[in-house]
Amino acid sequence: MTQPGLDELIHPPTRLAIVSLLAAVEWADFKVIRDQVGLSDSALSKQLSTLERAGYVQIRKAFVGKRPRTSARLTAVGRAAFRQHVAALQKIVGQSGVTVLPR
Amino acid sequence: MNGSLRPEDATSALTEIGRHQEKIIDAALVPAWYWWVVAAGMVAIGAAVDSRSRDVLAAVLPVAIVVIAVLTAAMIFGAYRHVQVRSSELLGGRGAVAIVGFVWLIVGLTLGIAFGLRAAGAPAPATIATAVGGAAFVTGGPYLMRMLRRMMLGNRAGLAR
Repeated sequence: MTQPGLDELIHPPTRLAIVSLLAAVEWADFKVIRDQVGLSDSALSKQLSTLERAGYVQIRKAFVGKRPRTSARLTAVGRAAFRQHVAALQKIVGQSGVTVLPR
Repeated sequence: MNGSLRPEDATSALTEIGRHQEKIIDAALVPAWYWWVVAAGMVAIGAAVDSRSRDVLAAVLPVAIVVIAVLTAAMIFGAYRHVQVRSSELLGGRGAVAIVGFVWLIVGLTLGIAFGLRAAGAPAPATIATAVGGAAFVTGGPYLMRMLRRMMLGNRAGLAR
């Protein structure tokens, strides 16, 4: 089944998890994303860098006292790509006659 | 992927999206202890007012107000939870009305009882009123969170019903 709108960058499970999570928030701390998605620091950094290079994610580095704090947010481009990806997934499911609704 | 995906894979991807968004929304909710700390602060203020002692007021009032204000600001801006939900998109106008309505209900209830008891000449009107207001806060807060959670899950990006 071919469906326009599917985003190859977003679709792999790990990146889909990161983008899904970021789509629901204004921003999230690196640690929150890491714990929620269940990745190592280096694996998450790699995935976030890939998404950042594509312009989907903005990485913010700041200091809280002396501690560095990294957070990420989805850009408008990333948000649009995610919506399009979800719409494409829903269309595939819809065309097959199955309905998927959030719990 | 080449734009090719089976319906069962698409279903699985949508389920995963929903699961991850549910998890992050849960992580962004106000924790149960917040309601208890604020309620305790309210009662401390009430008891300090009833004490009619300047020293007690000077000691309790600033501490209680700062604790309540800092905690509330941290919850609103996500500083404690290290994550901030897209309130405008996920909560919408109904969510904002529910939060403001809840705060006004607690304030109105507390002040109403306090002035009513004072007019009736009851002892410790502020303490009793803040205790009742605090109890309503502790009881209603988690209920409000459950309501907001339902709203956010219904409005989450790309998966709205």
